[in-house]
Amino acid sequence: MKELKIDVAVIGGGPAGLAAAIEAKDQGAEQVMILERDVELGGILQQCIHDGFGLHRFGKRLSGCGYAHHFIESVASKEIDVKLKTIVLEITDQRIIYAMNEIDGMMRIECGAIILAMGCRERTRSQVFIWGTRPSGVLTAGTVQRYINMEGYLPGEKAVILGSGDIGLIMARRMTLEGIEVEGVYEVMESPGGLTRNISQCLKDFQIPMYLSTTVVRIHGNRKLEGVTVAQVDENRQPIEGTERYIACDLLVLAVGLIPENELSRQLEVEMDPRTKGPIVDEHFMTSMPGIFAAGNVVTVFDLVDYVSLTGEIAGRGAAKYLQGKLNLELPAKDILPGDAVNFVVPQRIRTANAEDSILIYFRVKEEMRKVEVTATVDGEVCMRKKHPIALPPEMMVEKIQVGKIQEDARELRVSVKVG
Amino acid sequence: MKNEFTCIVCPMSCVLTVEEQNGEITVLGNGCKRGKEFGKNEFINPKRMVTTTVKVTGSHLNRLPVISTEELPLDHLFAYMHELYQVVLEAPVEKGQIIIENIGGSGVDIVASRSLNQIESKKERA
Amino acid sequence: MKNKIVQAIKEDETLSGYQIEVFVSADKIVTLTGEVDDWQQVVDCGHLVAKIKGVRNIVNDMTAKGIVIPKRDRSMEIQQAMESGNETACDILVIGAGIAGCAIARELAKYQVKTIVVEKNSDVAEEATKANNGNIHPGVLAKPGTLKAELNLKGNEMYTQLAEDLHFELKRPGSLNVIYKKSEWRKMKALQVMRVTGLGHLVPPLRQVMKVPGLKWLTGDEVKKMEPHLKGEPIGGFWMTTMGLVEPYEVCIAMAENAVENGTEIRLNAEVLDVLVENGRIAGVVTNQGVIRSEIVINCAGVYSDTIAEMANDRFFTIHPRRGAIAIIDKSRKGFLKTPAGIRGGKEAEKNNTKGGGASVTPEGNLLWGPTAVEIPWKEDKSVEASDLDYITKLGMSVTNKVKRSEIITFFAGIRAADYMEDFIIERSRKVGGLIHVAGIQSPGLASAPAIAEMVAGLVYEERGGLLVNPAFNPVREPKPQFRHLSHEEQDALIQKNSKYGNIICRCELITEGEILDAIHATIPATTVDAVKRRTRSGMGRCQGGFCGPRVLEILARELEKEPTEITVKGNDSFILKADNRQPQKGGSHERTEN
Repeated sequence: MKELKIDVAVIGGGPAGLAAAIEAKDQGAEQVMILERDVELGGILQQCIHDGFGLHRFGKRLSGCGYAHHFIESVASKEIDVKLKTIVLEITDQRIIYAMNEIDGMMRIECGAIILAMGCRERTRSQVFIWGTRPSGVLTAGTVQRYINMEGYLPGEKAVILGSGDIGLIMARRMTLEGIEVEGVYEVMESPGGLTRNISQCLKDFQIPMYLSTTVVRIHGNRKLEGVTVAQVDENRQPIEGTERYIACDLLVLAVGLIPENELSRQLEVEMDPRTKGPIVDEHFMTSMPGIFAAGNVVTVFDLVDYVSLTGEIAGRGAAKYLQGKLNLELPAKDILPGDAVNFVVPQRIRTANAEDSILIYFRVKEEMRKVEVTATVDGEVCMRKKHPIALPPEMMVEKIQVGKIQEDARELRVSVKVG
Repeated sequence: MKNEFTCIVCPMSCVLTVEEQNGEITVLGNGCKRGKEFGKNEFINPKRMVTTTVKVTGSHLNRLPVISTEELPLDHLFAYMHELYQVVLEAPVEKGQIIIENIGGSGVDIVASRSLNQIESKKERA
Repeated sequence: MKNKIVQAIKEDETLSGYQIEVFVSADKIVTLTGEVDDWQQVVDCGHLVAKIKGVRNIVNDMTAKGIVIPKRDRSMEIQQAMESGNETACDILVIGAGIAGCAIARELAKYQVKTIVVEKNSDVAEEATKANNGNIHPGVLAKPGTLKAELNLKGNEMYTQLAEDLHFELKRPGSLNVIYKKSEWRKMKALQVMRVTGLGHLVPPLRQVMKVPGLKWLTGDEVKKMEPHLKGEPIGGFWMTTMGLVEPYEVCIAMAENAVENGTEIRLNAEVLDVLVENGRIAGVVTNQGVIRSEIVINCAGVYSDTIAEMANDRFFTIHPRRGAIAIIDKSRKGFLKTPAGIRGGKEAEKNNTKGGGASVTPEGNLLWGPTAVEIPWKEDKSVEASDLDYITKLGMSVTNKVKRSEIITFFAGIRAADYMEDFIIERSRKVGGLIHVAGIQSPGLASAPAIAEMVAGLVYEERGGLLVNPAFNPVREPKPQFRHLSHEEQDALIQKNSKYGNIICRCELITEGEILDAIHATIPATTVDAVKRRTRSGMGRCQGGFCGPRVLEILARELEKEPTEITVKGNDSFILKADNRQPQKGGSHERTEN
């Protein structure tokens, strides 16, 4: 078995991992290695051919692959080791990674620090409990995207999309442009899951109808999908009898949500946040386990790739500091907590003495609110206020908080959103 | 002529009513200046970035993603698509390489949005 | 007898008002006709009549209002097949490559006969077998004196040697009846006394229990020590230590492959359209792939075994499809339960004609909830309903309430091939020479399969007046590497030997390209995505093929030298991809006018 010793291992070569590796290297980590399971770097961005990526970072609307390209070039110019087609089987709490590929076989890699950047995966049909049979022709949106954009195949002629999150909307447009008839987009919730821009440019531009409070209740066809039954749902998301409608189709596209990919994190037994379904992280995106960091959609599913790469950079910087002994882990960490109307916050902990001048806190509201005020309180004392015209659950919010305003002896920081 | 649009400039999603009377365009319902501008543009000549794929051979992928260098009129979207669907390229391709120059006489180019290397045999990948 | 039957129907609360015709043949086969309001009544009527003494079996032609079971006219296809000129011959023809057909095929491979197995699906184990919960029942529950009782006990025992020879996974953690009620505990203690003293032999309903080896009575503390995650405070347990766990499709594939390695031919995608009978003897079958001549035909056609019997003009039983749904729990619960467990005294299960169900475990360690038992009119309807999952969840939760419904990664259903006597039908046809029925094979069909096969070999021996032993028979099927079960050192060595084992395709279950290639190039090649899944586990994990699906499809296309658009999930027209998206003439948008 090959034995290696490196400074920083980054698991996953998507935007979080790429940004983390580059930053760790830039901040002085010598041997940085990216372990990527696919045949190339870039992660899921490589199948996102549509534009809209990178407005914050690059000030323009790149395609997903265009966005990835910038980071891949940067990695290539920096003597960062890249292991492709490589899968990590195990991480021990001693920061030893067992990873393998066809060329190296099994590797035992001793790491100074590890950054978890495995991204997220799609929820499946079973997880949303759609009744009926199990024919072919029921695919997740990401799989359809891969087939169409990378492999070059159409998985059907007439599609129904379940889920109005951004991926569902993007695929509605994409399939239409490829000649697949999109019958409609169905959303079980009362409001759309995706951004207004995508509803406008992916559905309205092509007169694709969206049905809210409506869901697919049944799949028909024993071997090949023959159709689906949709029905309206009541406020408890239960189908309303008598509203069923049968739609003949040969493709059901599921865009029913993403879940952070945390098999390895769980195996490692880092502390998890049930709200984000990812590891609890501190101001440097370090998990509860010293030297193990997490970045991007592993932590929580972000809306924007810019946030993903930004958290990658924070984690990369954290890993470098950790190696240099600049993080004092003896200090007690303060909790960052979701307050009124807030679903979750990331990061969930802070050691103020280790933190930089300011810290970005990512969060989502529980429901749509207009004319809101975001407040951050330190042990009940307000340390930041900011007004926004609107707060929507699909739009992740970010606030910057001056670390200087958090007293040394404070216990917790709380982020709340209120109308007014 | 009168039309309604949802403004996408910010998350407020204002509903804009745009009307043309005697060559004069008025926008109602906008919450800000940028919204007014957006409404006008959507009314006169809505434009979008064009992104799709073209066929490519000799690489690890069968399709090359492409993107327009600027926004193009939405009205002609399917015509652009049709033109792009006739293209067959051979790897290698460099990011930014022009795939179709001045598509449909629009003055806008379609370029590769990533690089694709040439591989020896496709058989070997999985 | 007829009067008794008519009387029984008349006295039945739910059936009395209907016009139900009863016909009793000379050989005590009862035929029922008439229309009732719902399907359950059709089934109830069949079961009611089955209980009447002397009835050999039931042909139930009753219908329910509004339910039409379409019958396809196959005459054109039959004619085409007959005229195709495709004709082969064999000594023994087996219809159906489920667990029964494959076990029989392997058993017959021990003798000097040419056997052909025809299967309408694109793979073996495609029907009830693949949707079975994999329990090798200890044989406690079968009614004494039935074929099920005898063959279950024998089959269970045979599995140990089989697993060794065929290299499939067999675990024997036993099965646990958890007891919460004092009344149940008293009953169980009484049973123990009957058993220990031997008095049980004198009580006819206990005769089966007396024969089952390895029964143990546990105290509440012992139960808790064995299964710490059980709900509440068990006061005792009944541990049937011989219960085994297998992956049912794995057993079936192993048997089929070993049969093929020993000379059996298995024809997939070959559906029997008609059975040829000449002068009261079997002459062969007509399939969509041509005619196969054979003097012996073994009917293991599962839910269609009554259809096959009818084709041979030997219709004396009806299969009423009974659907069973199962849910699989995420592997993060691996080890949560060691043994399949159910609650003693669950009335619901009895009523529903299942072996109880509850929380089971797969050999891989996933928790498995179910199965349900729902009578349905349609033999192909494998849908899962909300009510099924409610029931399954209740069963699972009755054992342990720590596992949440949201931890279910997949659910599916299979159709049990039940007849009205609710016993196996394993016999030489009384009407048609050379025809052997192996019908009504439902639970404990998997556990009994090896014993069924031996019994059928005996019937073949009788039919032919002898069988010559095949001296070349090799009972062993060589194992294939299972990457996930190896140590890191062994994994490394395997990759050094063949780098394809270094390429993980399914990351949820840790399945390598090497294993997928092994499956595609196996004795019975996996040609569909599901066939690969059953042989390797790729796609069985929590992402349910989201990640590995496209990759498996690509490997299949490459290895089978097909276009990706030709690859299916489960044969027939279950294609995944419709078309290449840059074929100039295809698709609407390319010719779409500007809008």
